[in-house]
Amino acid sequence: MKPINSIGGQELREMFAAATGWLEKSSAEIDALNVFPVPDGDTGTNMLLTMRSTIEEAYRAPDHSASAVAHAMAHGALMGARGNSGVILSQILRGLAQSFTEKESFTAAELAGALQASSAMAYQGISNPVEGTMLTVIKDVAAAVQPEMTGNDKDLIAIMETVVNAASESVANTPKLLNVLREAGVVDAGGQGLHTIFDGALRFLRGEMEQMRFRKPQIIVTDVHPTKLPQMIAADEIPYGYCTEFLLKGEKLETEKIRKKLEKKGESLIVVGDDSAARIHIHTLEPGDVIAYATGLGTLHQVSIRNMDEQHQDYLEMQRDRGPTVDTAIVAVVAGDGLADVFTSLGVTAIVPGGQTMNPSTKDLLQVVEEAASDKVIILPNNKNIVATANQVQSLTEKRIEVVPSMTIPQGVAALLAFDYEANLESNIQIMTRAMSAVKTVEICRAVRSAKLGDLKIKRKQPIGFLDGDLVAVGESSLEVLNKMLSKLGLSKIEVITIYYGADTKSAEAEQVASDIRSQYPQLQIEVVRGGQPHYNYIISIE
Amino acid sequence: MPVKVVTDSVADLPPQVINELGITVIPLDVRFGEKVYRDGIDLTTEQFYQELTRSKFFPVTSVPSPVTFATAYDKLAEETDEILAVMLSSRLSATYEVAVQSIGLMKRQCRVEVIDSRCAVMSQGFLVISAARAALAGASLDEIIEIVRGNMPRVDMQAAFDTLEYLRRGGRIGAAQALLGAALRIHPLITMKNGLVEPAGRTRSRAKAIEHLYRFAAQYKSIEEMAVEEAACPEDADILVEKLGDLFPKERIYRTKTTPVIGAHTGPGLLLVALMGDKQ
Repeated sequence: MKPINSIGGQELREMFAAATGWLEKSSAEIDALNVFPVPDGDTGTNMLLTMRSTIEEAYRAPDHSASAVAHAMAHGALMGARGNSGVILSQILRGLAQSFTEKESFTAAELAGALQASSAMAYQGISNPVEGTMLTVIKDVAAAVQPEMTGNDKDLIAIMETVVNAASESVANTPKLLNVLREAGVVDAGGQGLHTIFDGALRFLRGEMEQMRFRKPQIIVTDVHPTKLPQMIAADEIPYGYCTEFLLKGEKLETEKIRKKLEKKGESLIVVGDDSAARIHIHTLEPGDVIAYATGLGTLHQVSIRNMDEQHQDYLEMQRDRGPTVDTAIVAVVAGDGLADVFTSLGVTAIVPGGQTMNPSTKDLLQVVEEAASDKVIILPNNKNIVATANQVQSLTEKRIEVVPSMTIPQGVAALLAFDYEANLESNIQIMTRAMSAVKTVEICRAVRSAKLGDLKIKRKQPIGFLDGDLVAVGESSLEVLNKMLSKLGLSKIEVITIYYGADTKSAEAEQVASDIRSQYPQLQIEVVRGGQPHYNYIISIE
Repeated sequence: MPVKVVTDSVADLPPQVINELGITVIPLDVRFGEKVYRDGIDLTTEQFYQELTRSKFFPVTSVPSPVTFATAYDKLAEETDEILAVMLSSRLSATYEVAVQSIGLMKRQCRVEVIDSRCAVMSQGFLVISAARAALAGASLDEIIEIVRGNMPRVDMQAAFDTLEYLRRGGRIGAAQALLGAALRIHPLITMKNGLVEPAGRTRSRAKAIEHLYRFAAQYKSIEEMAVEEAACPEDADILVEKLGDLFPKERIYRTKTTPVIGAHTGPGLLLVALMGDKQ
């Protein structure tokens, strides 16, 4: 590939036009990355529209110098900026334009310098910069090319490769910086959009226009595993007021003063621009106040006030469309945050807290069943004392209710795992009930009082073990009880043992129990999971 | 002049079938960083898994260039005036689109039809085999298209994964994303519906996953073709073939390794059964 030593205005424009085309190919996928409450449920679309306005204006530049084109682009971006991400993007372009002022063309070293300005400018407009977003990505990119700011004859392709690689790493890292992204196991949408733009520019410089026609930008993925489905995160979130955006035109506008004034009016405030035009974005409960204040400073354009509650609903619908088409809701009765996570991650629609010694009422169950967004609901009681309560729900609702009578947590998990997305309700009940009976449950807790049961002499506080609900063993330690029980079970047909340890049990002790079993039965797959359940030190699934 | 049949490397056809039936296979590309390999040609399945564990890059797959297709079509056009291409699901890859667009780049005159198989691996392979057999028997292009379309609803597959991580990274996970993020270690199963990846189930152990694949095949009343494919887990494939022997003559089950392009999206540990048949 021939090295490129400098870029003039025309190439600059074509490069960003190619990048815009590249972004267009994945804007829908970028939209789908959004995780509420990161503002703007349509980041990909917003960035694309901002880029379109940028490119349109680029063609109106008075001459073909890099300076004229870059300034026209920055102006176009500011005029057409949509959403949070669009505004930040416009700031990045503004940083480039300022650096290229009076330049006919720019070199690799000058681009490296301009990216420093872009990064600084991006942070400037934002009152509360959040890391793990597009801001972090431009900052990391700037840092990566900083050493390239000196020297001549550097290849612009090489420096853009550094930019794209740095952006890619930074985007992949965003879930580690921002909790909502981590929970959803996705990267930041705005950061991804920025990466796609840089990547498109690089491909243009490499002369890959033909290949770009047949390929699609890659959405960067993260090593972080999602712990919640996006719709659940969205459902947890309470939307906040009105997303208010407009362009303010006037004379001698003071962006700093405007920002100070609006800071108390809401959240996610952005004020960017110059003394003749400023773009303002805020989430506020009182859009009227914001508008009234701005009208006093100049004229308003492209005013958009959106009810974020509606945006939230649209977002929920989009996520529903993307999710699997399940028309059956599953409600499970579970105690302990770890076990709740297990059930949630396996796809239950709702959890009713409860279990041994804390049985939920019929009313508790009924309420959750009624709230579930489905006419067909399967209930997993996960405790023998709750099965009857669950059965009562059937007569109290219009909805079609089926109870898979799971008596223990492991039975509930086995039933849930067997749920078939394709099957109808009747066959699912069959499949789940069959799967449930294939698992054995060991529960270990401490005796609340001394007792004599058959051959077993039990002292108060001694560990005792239940097999599928029957008290069968007692011992000095949990491990001893478990070992007694395992030796009675024929382990030849067993493959997996899952140990859920309770709220009062230390993870080190659970690991010790697991490694002890592992050494005795090396052929078994043994997993230790924090269940966080009350009462039982261990709930153990044997299948 | 018999119709010539073209497909892509994702159909996972065994080399002897390709030779016997005179099928032209266009390789997709696999890229590790800057190194580009042609699927199944420059890179065997064994080399691929070595590279997968060794390379610091995550493999990326890409569509063959339009020129590759046009050249292949032109070469076939020396011997025939009718070509049928049966490509991997257009909802997973742009290969189908490129196969269509490349017709415009041909230098020779020849009728070329392209079918979107809406599937991949040997399900797609069975469609290709049925086309190639009909072509050798002298069927016309239109007749063959009819046959392939008729067989499309009759091919099916189910695959057991060790992890869905690779599928997720490659962006091909579709509705099977519901199987992600389990707080327990699970063995996910997927299938393909309407050209997209969909969840088919999940089990706690590998043995149960194999059992699940067997039960999937057992739903079929009559089975015409069957294949067991694996990615770096030949022992599991042996166990599955033994079991499937109840349903279909063992010696007629195609035993193949999935091509590196598939491996890049599934990771090692993939075990799948593909079949063509009828449930009624």
